[in-house]
Amino acid sequence: MTAGAPLQVRVRDIVELAPSLKRFSFEPAHGGLFPTPPAGGHVMLTLRDGARVMKNAYSLVSPPMERARYDIIVRLVAQSRGGSDFLHRKVAPGDVLEMARPVSLFPLASSAKKHLLIGGGIGITPLLSFLPEMKARGARFELHQLATGEEVPVFERLLAPYATGEEIRVHGGGRAAFDLAGLLSRQPLGTHVYVCGPHALMDAVTGTAAALGWPRGKIHKESFGGATGGLPFRAVLRRSGIEVEVGETQTLLEAIEAAGVAAPCLCRGGACGECVTPVIEGEVDHRDDFLSAEEKAGGKVVMTCVSRARGPRLVLDL
Amino acid sequence: MSDQGIKSRPRYHPIAPDPQGRHHLLVVDGPDVPVEALAEGVTPSAFEVWTVARKSAVPASPAMDEQAGAVRVFRAVPHLFSALEERLARETMGLRLYAAGTEPFLWDAYGIGARAGLSPQEMAFAHVGTQARRIFCVHCRTVMEGVTTSITTCAGCGAPLFVRDHFSRRLAAFMAVQIDAEVPGEVPQAEELYS
Amino acid sequence: MTVQFKPAETFRDTFTYRKSPEDILRFPFPFPEDEYMYSVNIEPHVRGGPTAAFQAAFDIDEHYIAECRERERVLKEDPKRCQVLPHMMAAEWDSLELIMESLAQDYPEHFSLTKAGDLWTWVNRPLNIHQSFTFGKAETLPCGPFEYITRQAQGDFTLQDQRDDNLFVDGGMVTTQADWSLEFDIGMSFHEWHGPVPLAHEKGVFDRALKYLLRLQCGQPVRRLNWTMTVNPRLDTSPENYPVWGPDKASVTPDNVAEKVHLRVELQTLYRLPRSNAILFGIRCYLTSVADIARVPKWRRRLHRVLRDLHPDIAAYKGLPRFRQTVLDYLAPLDDGEPTSKGIAPDTDVLAG
Repeated sequence: MTAGAPLQVRVRDIVELAPSLKRFSFEPAHGGLFPTPPAGGHVMLTLRDGARVMKNAYSLVSPPMERARYDIIVRLVAQSRGGSDFLHRKVAPGDVLEMARPVSLFPLASSAKKHLLIGGGIGITPLLSFLPEMKARGARFELHQLATGEEVPVFERLLAPYATGEEIRVHGGGRAAFDLAGLLSRQPLGTHVYVCGPHALMDAVTGTAAALGWPRGKIHKESFGGATGGLPFRAVLRRSGIEVEVGETQTLLEAIEAAGVAAPCLCRGGACGECVTPVIEGEVDHRDDFLSAEEKAGGKVVMTCVSRARGPRLVLDL
Repeated sequence: MSDQGIKSRPRYHPIAPDPQGRHHLLVVDGPDVPVEALAEGVTPSAFEVWTVARKSAVPASPAMDEQAGAVRVFRAVPHLFSALEERLARETMGLRLYAAGTEPFLWDAYGIGARAGLSPQEMAFAHVGTQARRIFCVHCRTVMEGVTTSITTCAGCGAPLFVRDHFSRRLAAFMAVQIDAEVPGEVPQAEELYS
Repeated sequence: MTVQFKPAETFRDTFTYRKSPEDILRFPFPFPEDEYMYSVNIEPHVRGGPTAAFQAAFDIDEHYIAECRERERVLKEDPKRCQVLPHMMAAEWDSLELIMESLAQDYPEHFSLTKAGDLWTWVNRPLNIHQSFTFGKAETLPCGPFEYITRQAQGDFTLQDQRDDNLFVDGGMVTTQADWSLEFDIGMSFHEWHGPVPLAHEKGVFDRALKYLLRLQCGQPVRRLNWTMTVNPRLDTSPENYPVWGPDKASVTPDNVAEKVHLRVELQTLYRLPRSNAILFGIRCYLTSVADIARVPKWRRRLHRVLRDLHPDIAAYKGLPRFRQTVLDYLAPLDDGEPTSKGIAPDTDVLAG
């Protein structure tokens, strides 16, 4: 789905939590309040480093009632594509950045009898936004954070405001010392498990839970989406005599509209059929729910609001 | 006259143990597991089975034998349901609950499972036996059991009711609506449809 | 905006409900073309649209006070017309926040909301309400948060929980419905509660609509229009009370058809809620008599054509058969066969007749 107008945000402050961990706090650049953030939500920050533009996703760690600021925690990654490096080294309080509105693909289940949260390293961030919401609901939960030995105190400090009982534990002994199967086996009916962290941890949790008979609908992992956007390509609008470049994070429809062509559309989400456009040349990457399997295989039409080109070029009868 | 076109009607399938499940508990509303309730090649020994004898002189259950192949006998359906609630309250993730029997029995079992935290992915049902319906009069909320005709008279408010196919899993009943509300007295012939 | 409320209007018994000329012209006429079939007719819910009914997030019109009083009556007669399952409390607070903030933003002359931390003060001038409460603490409000705020809004609302790649109607305030029962349907999944609708299932309309709604995000609400017809401007056409309003359907004659038969439109809005991840589904109901429709030339032509060519299964499902021909007999002479423009706007700002 399209993102809606992005937010302009100003950096309020930057706090170093650990040598490679910084918390960035943002406020609305033009005053006022932010929209209430979804629990488990994340934002895409646009980072401009000279000519280079990066868009990276970060979980919001600030609580839902806090609308004067949005907080994220960024780990400086050694082999970063530049996003974390840019944030750690080149962004300062007062800087204004573009941030997409928060989106949630990792929500808290409303009907869960218990929430079991498992975090690894920086994966703690979406789980942090769950804590105030679970407290507000009076929900039963358990949180297990896996960290390296040196970072155990960092995470204990972050979690301290919520650690009133035995529900929160930080484990420094590495994955081998963490009895994942035992933890999952003893959970009562109606428990949901949520995991965020390195891929190996997420695979271990989702795989072990499934093997122990947890149904798919009760296993949740944060993947930040992934299916939106894609490789850039060129769209040739034959009847209009225009060519547009469709960027990585831009939809074909948005690129067409940005070029001043009024293309038909309605739902902007691949479901209603209004934006169907004939294809003259090029292979389509269909991502909609409207066309039949035959229509998709035929490759003669494309839903411009969500679908893209499989190759470098699409020629449209538009 | 009926509205058999309704897509919300539950669909039932013969039961087989879910290979993903850790433990399989099958409850039935009679003394044996009906053969037609199980999928081809599946035997009751794959499940822990709970049955209903409809007899009072049933000995108290043996010491907790809660594995595949075990059979527990209860005096009547309410007796079984009270034990089911207690059992689910102390169960752990990985359980699968199955039920075979009449439609009201299945959805009453579903309600106990749902309140204990089980989702539809963790339960499966086979409808065996009478097609007679439990109905819910939408006007006065009276519930009637064992309805076999397309039209019946509400035991609560006296309305002549058309028995719809619209089914509520929560109420474990079909909706019934007054058939002559627009022109009082205009009541078609009832058909014997659900037996 | 200087709306004149009509607080004493009734939607039952005496049926004193009437529409002012401005009210007729702001009606969300449901047909963008001369024929009708089920589709996924969803579009972004932005402030603004073909008529003034699309201007606000939650539309308030001249019938506001009267509708709130009618809702109060329905709930007194049957409290189960508002129910929320226990696991939906976060969604209740989400809804209260969204509706209060929207009303205060769109109608500052009628509503205001001030906050000091989680101590909120809500003022509703038309209903004479001044309420301070602690956000998140249900005991500081006279009733549950969802019931509290929906008693002060026009139209029905449901709360849908998202789980297992599906939506479940796990709560609602349902007093102005077109013939569906909250007590019966509460807890149902998307396809289950749409079960009775003909044709649309085979066309895949519900499969596509569900996939789309599962991806709905905060801050990007959507809307669509739904319609049926009602005899008399009766808001409560619930299954529960069918024995009360059923006889209306058989009371239509050629002499009274234009005044009695109403086009009933639902402006449906869907919002993703932040804390609960639930969807708030608003079902805002508008009633316009065939006589008032006839005062807009484009609408009277189009309504005639849509009804004339409507698929019989759809007509049957919408409860039209008893009076459809009588309506057509009234509208046919008023349809001069002239072409009509695409879209629902009235194409005039004066009424004929």
